[in-house]
Amino acid sequence: MPKVVRSTVIAAPIETVWAVLRDFNGHDRWHPAVAESQIERGQPADRIGCVRRFRLQDGSELRERLLTLSDADMAFSYCLLETPIPLLNYVAHVRLVPVTDADHTFWHWESRFDTPAGREAELATMVGENIYNGGFAAIREHLARGEG
Amino acid sequence: MPRVYVSSVIEVPVARVWERVRDFNALPRWVPAVRESRIENGEPADRVGCVRDFRLQNGDRLREQLLGLSDYEYFCSYSILESPMPLTNYVATLRLTPITDGDRTFAEWSAEFDCAPEVADGLVSNIGQNVFLAAFSALKRQMAA
Repeated sequence: MPKVVRSTVIAAPIETVWAVLRDFNGHDRWHPAVAESQIERGQPADRIGCVRRFRLQDGSELRERLLTLSDADMAFSYCLLETPIPLLNYVAHVRLVPVTDADHTFWHWESRFDTPAGREAELATMVGENIYNGGFAAIREHLARGEG
Repeated sequence: MPRVYVSSVIEVPVARVWERVRDFNALPRWVPAVRESRIENGEPADRVGCVRDFRLQNGDRLREQLLGLSDYEYFCSYSILESPMPLTNYVATLRLTPITDGDRTFAEWSAEFDCAPEVADGLVSNIGQNVFLAAFSALKRQMAA
């Protein structure tokens, strides 16, 4: 079962970064891969168990369920329900930690999943580079544009 | 229960930082305020339960016991057995996490303890700034050298 871990430091206070990331339905406003997103059945985006259905720029559709959300820990977890990409049993965890000596934010993003045999390395690289590292870069640009 | 939390980014890979800080008897090598240290009863410094008896530059003496050490998760936990500070039940954890972006290190140092309410703020500030942050600053200078 591949495990992917990516982490970075964002040069902004943790409250600023969390305000963007805690919105489970907000990734279409900052992640370049996501074209549009909605929460199914009109539920609040911070209701545990809610499902976001979103479409990527390439037209493919995914559904993900919110498993955990904590304002105290500034962390959330989610799993994939449906995806055209063969990521099975995919569960991801995002957490933020303050860098107190600079008022910056440490951002840790990790997941575990199964894949068809022989595609582990390819899909682990795709998740780590395109989704996680791509997301880090996108948040930096998003905050630099003053859209925090 | 007062809590101290300090964190920083050290611009070198986690393995290099861990090599320096995992030695429970090595405070004099990287913490400027510590003059000398020894492990009691000749025990190995990575034996959980061992006690370090160390002296600061100002002559203060402390004894601390190793509660947990992980080469896998890069953390070290310890308690204070004796110190000049007016506190009890002090447990601290020093933890390193890799920053994959740039192959750097996220370092965290936290502590919890009991004390009289009127000295809590002073202790939290002193431990956070003069002990933990000062040690991180020294570590960053050494790693950059």
